Amino acid sequence: MTERHSRLEAFGAIVQLARPRALVFVDRDRARALGLDAKGDEWADPRADGALGEAPLSAPLEAHLQLTNHCTAGCTGCYTGASAAAGANELGLDGWKLAIDELARRGVFHVALGGGESATLPWLGDLARHARARGLVPNLTTSGLAGLDRLLPIADLFGQINVSLDGLGATYAAVRGFDGFARADAALRALRSIKREIGINVVVTRANYDELPAIFAHARKRRLSEVELLRFKPSGRGAAAYAALRCTDAQHRGFLPHVLAAARRHRVRVKVDCSYTPMLAHHDPGRELLAQLAVYGCTGGDFLVGAKPSGALTACSFAAPPPPTPGPDGTTTRPRVTDLGTYWRADDAFGVFRTWRDAAEPCRSCTYHTLCRGGCRVVSSHAGDAGSPDPECPRVVDHGSPRKVRLPVV
Amino acid sequence: MARGHSRGRILATKWGMNPNSSSLGVDVTFLLFGASALAFATPVIAALLRLKKKPAESAGPSE
Repeated sequence: MTERHSRLEAFGAIVQLARPRALVFVDRDRARALGLDAKGDEWADPRADGALGEAPLSAPLEAHLQLTNHCTAGCTGCYTGASAAAGANELGLDGWKLAIDELARRGVFHVALGGGESATLPWLGDLARHARARGLVPNLTTSGLAGLDRLLPIADLFGQINVSLDGLGATYAAVRGFDGFARADAALRALRSIKREIGINVVVTRANYDELPAIFAHARKRRLSEVELLRFKPSGRGAAAYAALRCTDAQHRGFLPHVLAAARRHRVRVKVDCSYTPMLAHHDPGRELLAQLAVYGCTGGDFLVGAKPSGALTACSFAAPPPPTPGPDGTTTRPRVTDLGTYWRADDAFGVFRTWRDAAEPCRSCTYHTLCRGGCRVVSSHAGDAGSPDPECPRVVDHGSPRKVRLPVV
Repeated sequence: MARGHSRGRILATKWGMNPNSSSLGVDVTFLLFGASALAFATPVIAALLRLKKKPAESAGPSE
């Protein structure tokens, strides 16, 4: 299984390490020292040397492929609105193989496969093998509620598999609307018995926020490799449940020390999703430190792209497909994941996802703006304007408030 | 940022792989240790990169 080694970028290059697993961003001198050199006009502009984040990458780092919207779980806050009735007019194995081919041509490193419940797809292993053959690393999220018998024999094809676990026992039911904890936990144990790179995905809500330390303890007990924390998004069925389940302002402000304390106590690695960057910046950990850790806010249409079950290309999994654009024959079509190469370079590609530099206050003057990029576009869109600052960022909340809250540096 | 005289800089390191199909996950465990952790990790990464020098395949996006 050969993984892509590296990719040239205007700032230099991205090099993939297999052990430890990492993508390393280097400037041009370091790239040359590693034996890499421009073959075309990649390094034509001397001002771009070392300027990571100043312009969109040449291609995404990873693509999030929603292989199906079929799922029988019926979770209250499902961001895709997946259902048992879904499954028609989806791309299928042959279509997703073509998508993988295009992603490989563009230099994408990883694909994150999800749904719906992708583990039930009889061809999931074939697609994962196809990705490996093209030099991409497939990773997977599963509910653990269905498809486990199919998944276990092909688990070694994936770089990392995470099981969604939004709470322990009754809290799981409070967040998801049904009691699936025992089945999800059984999937965790079964997967961990045959593979090391197994983790938990937790969608953080006001209902499970206080239980996060217990979830970390559970991850430690199950000897899992990581806990990944995801902010609840107002997308799919989650839009209707958003007011009831989203975290409070106080929880957002306390998020970083809360999760770091849990990670430290239980000695489990912690990942957070891009939408949490405003909550990290709130504690002023240092811009350079976050930059070195590649902590970015909204990188939809840049570091990542999404694809719907139909193959429609999106900036991220929560975003609607971009508006139709004129094709060579005069008709208008929405871009598809197989059009990534041409759409990526379009002037208005991905709309507001790439116009974060035109930020209003308080983002414009924020030290972290070039990393955070205004927070989550999906949350801003739900609040009425996808181009406006993330309304749940503590700095944005304070901007419209007379109170000034200063928290200790982490 | 790590700065070498002629060997250039490591601009950032994104740890791990992201299985989450909805958003970009980043490992923030290093925030427990602050900048001192990076002072330790960056030379290690630099050494690992040198092991990958002169790759058989150097791939930019192929058209």
